[in-house]
Amino acid sequence: MSHPAKNRPLNPRRIGVITMHTFTQLVRMKVFYFLGVFAVILLGSNLFEIQDLGRPDLEGTDVLRSIRSWSLGTMTLFSVVIGVVATALLLPKDVEDRTLYTILAKPVPRLDYLVGKLGGVLLLIFVSLLVMDLLMAGVLALRTNLVVAEQVAAVTAAGWPAAEIEALRQDTLNQGPTWSLHGAVFVVFLRAAVIASTAMMISTFSTSTLFTTITGFLMYFIGNFQAEARGLYFGEGVSPLEKGAGLLVATIFPDFQLFNVIDNLIEGGHFEGGELPMLIALSGFYVVLHLFVSWIVFAEKEF
Amino acid sequence: MEPAVEIRNLVKEFRPAGRKEPLRAVDDVSLSIGAGEVYGLIGPNGSGKSTTMKALLGLVQPDSGSCRIFGNDSLQVDSRQQVGFLPENPYFYKHLSGAETLRFYGKLCGLRGAALEGRVKELLELVDLSEAGNRRLGGYSKGMLQRIGLAQALVQEPRLVILDEPTAGVDPIGSRQIRDLIFDLKKRGITVFLCSHLLEQVQEVCDRVGIIHRGRMVKEGPLDELLAVGDQTEIILRGASPELLEKIRALVSSDSGAELLRAGRPRTTLERLFLQETADRRKP
Ligand SMILES: Nc1ncnc2c1ncn2[C@@H]1O[C@H](COP(=O)(O)OP(=O)(O)OP(=O)(O)O)[C@@H](O)[C@H]1O
Ligand SMILES: [Mg+2]
Repeated sequence: MSHPAKNRPLNPRRIGVITMHTFTQLVRMKVFYFLGVFAVILLGSNLFEIQDLGRPDLEGTDVLRSIRSWSLGTMTLFSVVIGVVATALLLPKDVEDRTLYTILAKPVPRLDYLVGKLGGVLLLIFVSLLVMDLLMAGVLALRTNLVVAEQVAAVTAAGWPAAEIEALRQDTLNQGPTWSLHGAVFVVFLRAAVIASTAMMISTFSTSTLFTTITGFLMYFIGNFQAEARGLYFGEGVSPLEKGAGLLVATIFPDFQLFNVIDNLIEGGHFEGGELPMLIALSGFYVVLHLFVSWIVFAEKEF
Repeated sequence: MEPAVEIRNLVKEFRPAGRKEPLRAVDDVSLSIGAGEVYGLIGPNGSGKSTTMKALLGLVQPDSGSCRIFGNDSLQVDSRQQVGFLPENPYFYKHLSGAETLRFYGKLCGLRGAALEGRVKELLELVDLSEAGNRRLGGYSKGMLQRIGLAQALVQEPRLVILDEPTAGVDPIGSRQIRDLIFDLKKRGITVFLCSHLLEQVQEVCDRVGIIHRGRMVKEGPLDELLAVGDQTEIILRGASPELLEKIRALVSSDSGAELLRAGRPRTTLERLFLQETADRRKP
């Protein structure tokens, strides 16, 4: 029996083992304490209220809006920081501590290791965002009911016509826990996935935690201005070579402005047709691309 | 029968930053380990022992030459199905307990369910960590880490075990336990490839040794052949009287071909003395 079972890359069970291990590792690093911070911020934004019922149609909705934007802001901060820091921490740490030796000395294809690590970070972000989303939805639902009741009572007293009251009610409900808002949280997750895979790609090049963290954040900021930069590449008087280089940069470095739809959703807007599937596809493309580049670099690495 | 390990003309160079000429860590090393053999690689610090082992595990890529494990090229993942590896100064995930560590590596090798649980328990007993099995590795001592590393290497019952300084940092009692474990592996027909600076132990457990110096294999062969001093014979006596010794001396000097080189009391080794005073004393 000198030719043992084939160990093909992308074995789901083995990836699952590494994913769950990475998830546990992060949990035991007490990452979930952040959820406590989130709860405090949520309650804080909930208390933000100006007790002036002079214009009931505005103030009540303002509270809802502030809950929404504070929550999503915190989610964004959390997911971006975890996406960069956790990814940057895990891979170079394995190399520095030489724990990687023992893993790669088992029949583990290097691609499985990378996918598993990234999977663990994404699972952690997903679970945290899910918990935050549920907390936010709960608080918003309670608050929306209060606001609607208050507003309806106030405008009925003011003698508004029934149709207008209904319109105001709908407007306010639209600031509550809508499906579009859950969609916005999902977009936050997609963005975090792209950031994490970017950080993973950097970390396979550098194997230094600090360098990866800094470069990861830098890429995020550059990515937020990338559309402007692209204007430069494709503007007048740019040579084909520069255009090619620009295109390459634009392909590998994600354009994070794509995710700005979140702002619109917070304001009570909705996805336009095909917007969400497009975002999912693009994020998937970036994650796969980054994993592929990471793998090419990592497959040749020596420890 | 197919050799367990086959290294052919392995060359490995490192190009450290800030140095022009490459550093040749392993220079044209060839060795072959038969199935069931215990092979010891010895040599000074920095002579290329660990690098040779890493090349065999595919952790570094040879610049030329090849490494095979049971006929499978080391650069292929499949070659690692049958190997257990204990790196030098092993270090594991601090956040896992001993049992969780073994479970993790077991799962990576495709074990699961009751078979995995049984194996974990068995290994913890084997390396004497049953009590510490539920504690996080962050609180383990160096010797305990070394032992959990050994258990991890054995988790999938590999046919080849590669041990890079298995007794480094382990006290003499633990070191003897590891020696006994290697004997036990050998009895079960498992091939062992180890390197160590404890020459006495290498001498005890290995069938064959290779001496490596500055990346080159300078001497290799079965231990018995390497160590036998061709023209000398040793006689150890108990309760010999001075008269008897005098007679033997006279007898030897009357022989024209033989010469008495040395007579005196053999000394016990410090290791033996240590064990006698510590471990043996604990036994009822
Ligand atoms: N990753 C690396 N980068 C650069 N040089 C390296 C690297 N790994 C090993 N070397 C060099 O290769 C040589 C052999 O190292 P190796 O670790 O194989 O020695 P060793 O025989 O295991 O020594 P020791 O007994 O100290 O463990 C050394 O000169 C070392 O400096
Ligand atoms: Mg070494």
